[in-house]
Amino acid sequence: MRLDLFNTTAFRLSVGYTLLVMLAVSVTLGSAYLLTESLITDEVDLIIDTELRSLEEKFARSGLPGVTDEINLRIDSWGRIGAVYMLADASFERISGNVTHWPFDGMPTEARPEFEIATIEPGRRAVHPVRAAVRTLPGGDLLLVGTDISQGRRFAEKFRLATLAGIGLSTLAAALAGFWFSYRLARRVGEVTRTCQRIMAGEPGRRLPVAGAHDEFDALAVSVNRVLDRLEEQARTLRATFDSTAHDLRAPLHRLRTRMDALLLRSPALEPAVHESIEAALREVDHLQRTLGTLLQIALAESGAALASPAAVDVDELAAELVELFEPVAAAHGLILECVRAGAAVVQGNRQLLAQLLTNLIENSLKYVPAGGRIRVAVQGRGAGVRLTVSDNGPGIAAADRARAAQPFVRFGGGGNQEGSGLGLSLVAAIARLHRGRLELQGNDPGLRVVVDLPG
Amino acid sequence: MQVLLIEDDTEAARFLVKGLRESGYRVDHAADGREGLSRATEGQFDLIITDRMLPHLDGLAIIELLRAKGIGTPVLVLSALGAVDDRVRGLRAGGDDYLTKPFAFAELLARIEALLRRRPQAPHTTRLKVEDLEFDLLARRVTRGGRELELTARELKLLEFLMRRAGQVVTRTMLLEGVWDLHFDPQSNLIDVHISRLRQAIDRGSDHPLIHTVRGSGYVLRSDA
Repeated sequence: MRLDLFNTTAFRLSVGYTLLVMLAVSVTLGSAYLLTESLITDEVDLIIDTELRSLEEKFARSGLPGVTDEINLRIDSWGRIGAVYMLADASFERISGNVTHWPFDGMPTEARPEFEIATIEPGRRAVHPVRAAVRTLPGGDLLLVGTDISQGRRFAEKFRLATLAGIGLSTLAAALAGFWFSYRLARRVGEVTRTCQRIMAGEPGRRLPVAGAHDEFDALAVSVNRVLDRLEEQARTLRATFDSTAHDLRAPLHRLRTRMDALLLRSPALEPAVHESIEAALREVDHLQRTLGTLLQIALAESGAALASPAAVDVDELAAELVELFEPVAAAHGLILECVRAGAAVVQGNRQLLAQLLTNLIENSLKYVPAGGRIRVAVQGRGAGVRLTVSDNGPGIAAADRARAAQPFVRFGGGGNQEGSGLGLSLVAAIARLHRGRLELQGNDPGLRVVVDLPG
Repeated sequence: MQVLLIEDDTEAARFLVKGLRESGYRVDHAADGREGLSRATEGQFDLIITDRMLPHLDGLAIIELLRAKGIGTPVLVLSALGAVDDRVRGLRAGGDDYLTKPFAFAELLARIEALLRRRPQAPHTTRLKVEDLEFDLLARRVTRGGRELELTARELKLLEFLMRRAGQVVTRTMLLEGVWDLHFDPQSNLIDVHISRLRQAIDRGSDHPLIHTVRGSGYVLRSDA
């Protein structure tokens, strides 16, 4: 299984964190921006209000001429930079001030209307935004006081750009960090996954990589490696015990057999009855030896060792040859044995072991299917792999028993003769596993269908 | 015939030596690999039987050293290891045949006989003949007393195997290995059924049956009973 970076928990987490960072930065910078903008506006409004109040007081004291003089004075002498004044009559005609004509269409409705004035500055024509307030003086004349707010606008604009850039940059930084984080995480988890897969595939000596960073992954890898060491050690001990036991059993079996053989060859010949008994005993020895050999093969497959020197095996041809080999025996049992071929179905494996697998399955059917039955061996290409099916219409195995049918020494059905080691299907399962394949027992309604899937 | 047996299990070796002597062979015994190698190098043997696992020097190493010295004496390897690949490794190392312990003594005798009687077949042999049974290897045609027999491809292969070893005992295991390339023993009496079919085709109605059963061993194809 390959890890898809975009489908990892780490990736989803970093996307979440990135969104959170974006939200937090937006709220912080956005409120600072809005606060600053309103502060600037408030200050402008305060100036306008102060000026209006002093001009209204002037009007109360010295009437229209006083206000006009005051306005002119402020414009000419100590007029603050960017200050805008206008005194107009009730029909919006200019009386005095530094605005050439009434900038609104009639009386503005807002409390702080804004407008633009064009000024000729040395070298260029500029448009200045102005924020203003209008008062109606007693007598019906109109007094307008305003302030050039272009500087504040520029400041606000810069602040806004800085805010947006801040949000963008921190989001980008968070996203990059998150991506890097999830990539690293996915890579390390991927290494662990791949290593585990290789161990499963028969490289028991492999260990998880330890980066040396003393982080939680290293801690995990070290712990898992310890478990693997322990398991390998146990498997090795078990294997060694098994091997020496098997060897210790084989040597006396060999001597026993040789002794009995020597007896049979003795001259003068033994009495026929004794001869018969010794031959019967020899058959028992052979049976023991066969069981031992099968157990050894199963142990070898179960130890997780990879198949030594695999070669291309045409399973289709092998199945045809074995069916041809077994056909006369099947006929002698009153059974029909047939082969459904696939053309060519090549897998990487061991021809002898695959032949043993098929032999065990065919012999299993031969043992249990009553005369008149039918056994079918089918080979199908399946993707890059091969599906081997051996089906019969015998008594089959009850669905509940199928799962444990491949366990050693499990036998079913009193119908078949009870010969055999009870290891046939275990060996089939072990050989399938050794070829990275799998074994499944199914019902054939009636009968048994054994399916072995082998990868190409 | 002079045979060298290299076997560290002294009790098993004792019975093997006794059995082989009773069967008419002169036998020398070496109890470990080093002794076995020096005996094999010095003496004149027609056949060497060696265990696969030996103290001091492994059976396969002995074969490789002998072959390196240009000694081509046929070697039969005995092994307690049942692994399939072991046989391949044994044959690749230069062994001529391979037998897994424990084996029937009759099986060992048949293998020995086959190895001793093996001589390079003239490569241009195109006809095999035993009495009035003739096998045209090129045309894949078999006649008995001039009458053509109808045989399947597998029966032809089986018959060829027997005729090339005419007069020698051939065991069921040898047939499974030689004709079907199967190096394990199925439980069924497969070979007996195939032989009986072949026998039907070859010997039916004949006064001189050619295929004979050797009790406790296997089969032999020869002209007289």
